[in-house]
Amino acid sequence: MNRGLLFCHARGMAKAGLLLLLAISISSYLVACGGTPASSGPVTLTFWSWVPNLQQAIDLFEKSHPNIKIKWQNVGSGGTEYTKLTTALKAGSGAPDVVQIEYAYLPQYILSGKLVDLSQYGANDVKDQFIPWTWAQVTSGGKVYAIPQDTGPMGLLYREDIFKKYNLPVPTTWDQYAQEAIQLHKANPKIYITDFSPSDGPWFFSLLWQAGSQPFVVNGTTLKIHLDDAAALKVANYWGNLVKSGAVSTAADWNNDWYAALQNGTLATWITAAWAPSDLEGFAPKSAGLWRVAPLPQWTAGEQASANWGGSTDAVTTQCQHPAEAAEFVKWLNTNPEAVKILTQKLYLFPSQKSALQDPSFDTANAFYGGQQVNRIFVESAQEVNTSFQWSPFQDYVFSQLQNQLASAVNGKISFEQAMHNTQNAVVAYARSQGFTVVS
Amino acid sequence: MARIGSLPAGGPVAATTRQTSAQARTGGRRGGWTLRGLVLLFLVLMLVYFVIPLFWLVVSATKTNDELFSTFGLWFAPDFHLLQNLHDVFTYDDGIFVTWLTNSAYYAVVSALGASLIATLAGYAFAKLSFPGRELAFAIILGTIMVPNTALAIPTYLLLSKVGLVNTPLAIILPSLVTPFGVYLMRVYAEQALPDDLLDAARVDGASEWLIFWRIALRLLAPGFVTVLLLTFVGTWNNFFLPLVVTNNPAYYPLTVGLANWNQLSQAFSGSRILYTLVITGSLISVVPLIIGFLFLQRYWQGGLTFGSLRS
Amino acid sequence: MIPSQDMAKHSQAEARQQAIEIQELAAPASRLPSALRFWRGWRRQVVIPYLFLLPFLLLFSFFLLVPLLYALWTSFFVERLIGGMTFVGWQNYQEVLRDGNFWEGVRNVLLLLFTQVPLMLGLSLLLALLLDSQIVRLKTIFRLGYFLPYAIPSVIGALLWGYLYSAHIGPFAQLAELLHWPPPPFLSAAGLLPSIANILTWQWTGYNMVILYAALQAIPPELYDAARVDGASGWEIARRIKIPLIAPALVLTVVFSIIGTLQLFNEPQIMTAIVPNLIQDHYTPNLYAYNLAFTNQQYNYAAAVSFVLGAVVFVFSYVFMLVTYRRGQR
Repeated sequence: MNRGLLFCHARGMAKAGLLLLLAISISSYLVACGGTPASSGPVTLTFWSWVPNLQQAIDLFEKSHPNIKIKWQNVGSGGTEYTKLTTALKAGSGAPDVVQIEYAYLPQYILSGKLVDLSQYGANDVKDQFIPWTWAQVTSGGKVYAIPQDTGPMGLLYREDIFKKYNLPVPTTWDQYAQEAIQLHKANPKIYITDFSPSDGPWFFSLLWQAGSQPFVVNGTTLKIHLDDAAALKVANYWGNLVKSGAVSTAADWNNDWYAALQNGTLATWITAAWAPSDLEGFAPKSAGLWRVAPLPQWTAGEQASANWGGSTDAVTTQCQHPAEAAEFVKWLNTNPEAVKILTQKLYLFPSQKSALQDPSFDTANAFYGGQQVNRIFVESAQEVNTSFQWSPFQDYVFSQLQNQLASAVNGKISFEQAMHNTQNAVVAYARSQGFTVVS
Repeated sequence: MARIGSLPAGGPVAATTRQTSAQARTGGRRGGWTLRGLVLLFLVLMLVYFVIPLFWLVVSATKTNDELFSTFGLWFAPDFHLLQNLHDVFTYDDGIFVTWLTNSAYYAVVSALGASLIATLAGYAFAKLSFPGRELAFAIILGTIMVPNTALAIPTYLLLSKVGLVNTPLAIILPSLVTPFGVYLMRVYAEQALPDDLLDAARVDGASEWLIFWRIALRLLAPGFVTVLLLTFVGTWNNFFLPLVVTNNPAYYPLTVGLANWNQLSQAFSGSRILYTLVITGSLISVVPLIIGFLFLQRYWQGGLTFGSLRS
Repeated sequence: MIPSQDMAKHSQAEARQQAIEIQELAAPASRLPSALRFWRGWRRQVVIPYLFLLPFLLLFSFFLLVPLLYALWTSFFVERLIGGMTFVGWQNYQEVLRDGNFWEGVRNVLLLLFTQVPLMLGLSLLLALLLDSQIVRLKTIFRLGYFLPYAIPSVIGALLWGYLYSAHIGPFAQLAELLHWPPPPFLSAAGLLPSIANILTWQWTGYNMVILYAALQAIPPELYDAARVDGASGWEIARRIKIPLIAPALVLTVVFSIIGTLQLFNEPQIMTAIVPNLIQDHYTPNLYAYNLAFTNQQYNYAAAVSFVLGAVVFVFSYVFMLVTYRRGQR
């Protein structure tokens, strides 16, 4: 037995050694040749995306493109994927060919030069098919770094039964929303009008977006940073007062308790985006028929300002050996009518394509929302998204700082206004330490 | 608590512990009935404490997603949904769970065998051979336990990526073969279990060191070997951080990373909301092999665990 | 159940027999020229031991030492998103020492170290002593039951407790609701650290107990004879004989608890998803290093944080061992 073990082990070691040698020789070969071996025969592309059930679209693509095979891998959503992506890009190997990235995170990958400029592969040809603000978010200095996949124009989901029961009109302004929050909580202390989650930086940013705040103006490596501009402070103080009044809950979102609260009527509204209605059907099935959709409340009565929360793009990394094929795939996935139909009507992504918004089959009545034509509200919202909003090239850091500060504010350690000032100072210091020029 | 290296804290001790008669062990008097009753009550309460989360896991694995949120957590729901859940776990996403299960088993078996053999060789050398640099090397090896492995994550990834091992099973197995703690245990064990005169006798007889190790030492070191084997097996089976960092391909995930991935997706996207029951049932399945292993290998983990403490 | 000393002796005798057989296999020793003798000596004292160590040292160097040295090297640089790497000497370390976030994390793990670890090890010792005494039967069941949480991957353990702690769907909250009590504040600002301490205690008590129990079992029962003659109670025997004799095992459990607690990572990392407002990115120093490296892309600074944490771990382990060693000398 001992002998057997030894042999087994020796063989394993020899194999490992051989593999090592092989790997070293292959990588040195690649370096010597300068990459990009001529492609002949079918090309295989790995594709990271957390959109469930994407395979049906991929099958369709492979049928019409027999020379390209797509290996779809779900390595986790959002942060989990970015962690892996960042590490792999830094290391120089292990990154996918094509990757799903949210709008907010694109600039940091663009800055590090790890995304392929798709304009060389005819990306500008499809420009006109997309909603203008989405195209603005994927381009930088005339180059196209990704193709918009889906979006999240915002609206207000609300419990019609609760508003009816307590005799409250659906709020159209934030002032009215705040008043009703207090009335509602007074009438029934178990009910909160909504949940202010300090740990959801992207959500808070969408509120800033709607209020007309302009936290970042990026010009190459020169930045303007105004995380505490007048609009941002207005939003922060508004929520600070609501939190202080106790009329909104402050639990973290996206966890079991929060799902339960949305289902059992503890939360009367959800300030959210166009992809949410189908999500809500999923995690609050018992509240079917009780929800409705309204436009986002406004800061000034009569306005129509909206914002975007979430949505993502598909980009090609510089580790890709077949960028032309990869570019073809991301263009196809987001413009081919059949593919777009799958994305929007089977996978419930809210489209970034103009044509899909106008598609009559997109405008159907939804029983979960009492037969309301839910998408109509969001299609209108999509027209009102401020197109000049920009993200920083280190948005991960910004979110984490903001979340730290908002948590302190919610815990009563600092004021909400102070939280914004602190975030501003931390981000400016970070930007300088990273070599950016910060101007005011 | 973070495990130390890939090995959990603690260590084996002597196979030379002994089972003794009831009389010999006591301090003479047996406690009175009240005392015995109180002690028993305490022990039972502690048992409940340690087992309750597992009981919750078992109960929850028999529920539907809805019942999970609407029925009392510590008792069964009216309809028994375990078989359906098991079916879901094994068929979801083309049965990727089976892949994860086999991956975990493969990584754990190969790493455990390799690591304990390597640790035994090294521990034997540290204990029974004298050579220049022995204590320094040993101190360096033990010292590395102090530095948290987050410091290693990125350099290890860079290194693996340089040699093209990222996204291969070897990226998980090779680092798992290094168990400084296993070397420590085997050194302590070898110092106790191997009499010097026995080895010297063999040397005088002209046996090569190699032969002495394989024909004499290894046999006597077997209990220590098995202990390190078990500890490494558990360590690798339960490892999360290393595979999370070094594999990007779900086809190479072990159970822990796969389940965490499901858990995250079940929280974020309604399209995969049935994942709750999958995560819970999958977690149950993932602990069953270890529990069975503990049941059958009691003499090793109980006999072996304190070995490291006999030194000092 | 546990291999007895007799068994061990038996297998030693067997091995001796084996040695005699080997003698016949091996070539007889012969007189050798001195150069050859020198080579043989060198071979025996250097080459052969290092051959035994070779597989370990190779892997150890590649997967531990080199990454560690690389991390150490990078900790003396700063890499900017714009402008690349520059050497900064000790600057990162100076910053860590001034970094309030780092020390806040250290404070959290030290709190655990001074509260949870003594509680856990005290419980482990108590359970081990009770199971070692003759007061109870069915020891196997108890032992196995206590040890089971160790079989649960800490990731899954933290997930499990996350459900159990939930104020809406957790069974404790459900029970409290039945009794018209408020839900237990497991996940409040004040309750969080105790809740994490509970997960750690749940997971590691049985493991430490098994270590101590095995050490207790290794004490030769003759040592109790004199005490028994003197009429000492079970408690006195435990305090005067058993505990001093298993001191080395206790030291081992303490040292590993120090290392494990100061490097705490998995539990807070998993629980962040449930209570992100309370577990921020620097809740423990290890979590801080991780987030610095993977979220903020401050790899160099993260490396410095890791090494300062390593130094803290070293200081605490070393001081503890020094103190116990001094006491032992007295």
